[in-house]
Amino acid sequence: MATKPETDTPVFETPGRFEKLYNEYEGTKWSRVAIYGGLSMYLLWTLFPVYWMVTGSLKTREGLLTFPPQWIPLQMEISNYVVLFTQRPEFWRFILNSMIVTIATTIIATFLGACAAYGFVAFDWPYDLDFHLPFYILSTRFMPPIVVAIPIYVIFRDIALVNTLPGLILLYVMFNVPFVVWMMKGFFDEIPDSLVESAMIDGHTHLGAFFKIVLPLAKPGLFASGIFAMIITWNELLFALIITHSADAATLPVGLSSLITQYTIQWELISVAGTIAMIPVLIFAFIVRDELVRGFSMGVDG
Amino acid sequence: MVKVKYDSVEKRYGDTIAVEDAEVTVEDGEFAVLLGPSGCGKTTTLRCLAGLTKPTDGNIFVDGTDITDVHPKNRNIAMVFQNFALYPHMTVGENIGYPLKIAGVSKEERDRRVEETADILQISELIDRSVGELSGGQRQRVALGRAIVREPAVFLMDEPLANLDAKLKMGMRTRIKRLQRELDVTTLYVTHDQEEAMSLGDKLIVMDKGNVQQVGTGDEIYHQPVNRFVAGFIGSPAMNFLEVEKDGAVVRPSIDGAEFEFELDDDIASAYGTDGTFTLGIRPEHVAVRTTENPRCIPGTVEVTEPLGNEQHIDITFGDLSSEDLQFTVTASGSLSVERGDTVWLEFEQEHLHAFEQSSGERIATEEIVQSKPNVPDS
Repeated sequence: MATKPETDTPVFETPGRFEKLYNEYEGTKWSRVAIYGGLSMYLLWTLFPVYWMVTGSLKTREGLLTFPPQWIPLQMEISNYVVLFTQRPEFWRFILNSMIVTIATTIIATFLGACAAYGFVAFDWPYDLDFHLPFYILSTRFMPPIVVAIPIYVIFRDIALVNTLPGLILLYVMFNVPFVVWMMKGFFDEIPDSLVESAMIDGHTHLGAFFKIVLPLAKPGLFASGIFAMIITWNELLFALIITHSADAATLPVGLSSLITQYTIQWELISVAGTIAMIPVLIFAFIVRDELVRGFSMGVDG
Repeated sequence: MVKVKYDSVEKRYGDTIAVEDAEVTVEDGEFAVLLGPSGCGKTTTLRCLAGLTKPTDGNIFVDGTDITDVHPKNRNIAMVFQNFALYPHMTVGENIGYPLKIAGVSKEERDRRVEETADILQISELIDRSVGELSGGQRQRVALGRAIVREPAVFLMDEPLANLDAKLKMGMRTRIKRLQRELDVTTLYVTHDQEEAMSLGDKLIVMDKGNVQQVGTGDEIYHQPVNRFVAGFIGSPAMNFLEVEKDGAVVRPSIDGAEFEFELDDDIASAYGTDGTFTLGIRPEHVAVRTTENPRCIPGTVEVTEPLGNEQHIDITFGDLSSEDLQFTVTASGSLSVERGDTVWLEFEQEHLHAFEQSSGERIATEEIVQSKPNVPDS
């Protein structure tokens, strides 16, 4: 009688050094210290600047610049807020402009990008164009934006779009569509073709199926790319600075930068404006946070 | 009266031919099953009727009207998909009622019909659930419900049972058949499972490599396959084939090393016509297995036995050849006691022999050979 072949039993392998280390520390006090310690450092790193700005907006100029730093504000000065809007009443207009531009851009870019992405996913394209065209669209963002700043300024001047809100919106839609297309492509890929086909057999046109079936299912993706577009647009400074020059169209970042002048930097006012600028995006992200988490984890099926 | 007719329908993708010259007619109220191995073009054929795939050539008629260029939504056709294709953002009731909603049916009417449909399918208690909470079998029933609620002219099903487990499959099969009979709707059903096809279809359409191979009832296809492909595809275990050489009434394998021969009955021998080589086919259940020597029988060696209770499948090789060409599977009674290595003697039931041309695979002498209808097959 032959002995059993040795391959039946799993071969014992000496654990490697990392494995030993991992086994030793896994679930122990020290591993928790490392994890929470690391996370705390990261939170401090990201949140401290925000804390400094918000508290800075409540300090006097002297309190803000004093050394050693005033870690906790001694007095709660809201006078800075009043000062900003009395000294620079056009800030109301900057906020309004920013909101108009951001909301319009986000809606238009998300919609256009989603439509384009669906077109690439749903239809047969010859010569692999369903890959090459989206890649071309993305490639428009490969170069440093400053490269096209001058040509765009000249073109915009010739067609009277300089220093107008529609001009800014047009520009920002162009910037955001590539990201939306790429994000939405991933989401649409996950939706089975049979759902659309089923909807068409059930009586929808293809367009109807897109609006009634595909878009609702891709909602997390729409929110994710929407907030992406929103953040980019709300914070954009370079082109706003180049093509706007008055309260007619200038946005909040332009207003913020105007507080830095050749002679002085108005830190306390920058803190105020920065705090104000931060709020809308925070609120929106908070409202759609559930969708957002699903969106960023790319899960269509919750 | 809803009759479906494919008139030389063809679908090509570049140089690849998915469906070639399909000529199929499905009568009113008939349950037709498109059957074939994967990639044979059966789903493409179905999708052409649904309007999801546009044929490269040819026309499709429903009820006498050419619908080749009609948008799917205007075809009054319902379809059940393999993955059920339920809308995940809607409840069961909304899913079932969705075709009616698009058609603009009033809310009250819609609710009434959804309830009615849910009743038929015994899913009334699930109406307010989200489809994500349903089991496979329940999803299947919701998909069926969505298809029948609108009382379509034609019912299409693309492997609707493929995603279900074996036990559920049997139950759903009966349900689908009963439903089709009750509603009396012309139905086209795609499957690769021949047992499913045989048990469901009034008419089987066997396809291979984009071509319709044979159209007929399950019995016709099982007992009179028109070519070697159909003969080999239908039946489980599959039909045994043997390349043979005929000399008068004597037949011997045309394979080197095979050292047996057997004699055909006179009428069968004459039906095969002139002498020459051809492929002989016989189903496993049409071979009698004997454990005692018999001059009319061919000796073989048992390779493997697969007992299934009331019967068993026995793999037998002839002589000491291990060639695949000389391996037969036969079905014998479960009480027959044989073991690997035993010698057994096989007798072919001659009236159940099938003969196919070697080069084309076409059947030789179709009508004459099947004289009596044999015992009902096990499927």
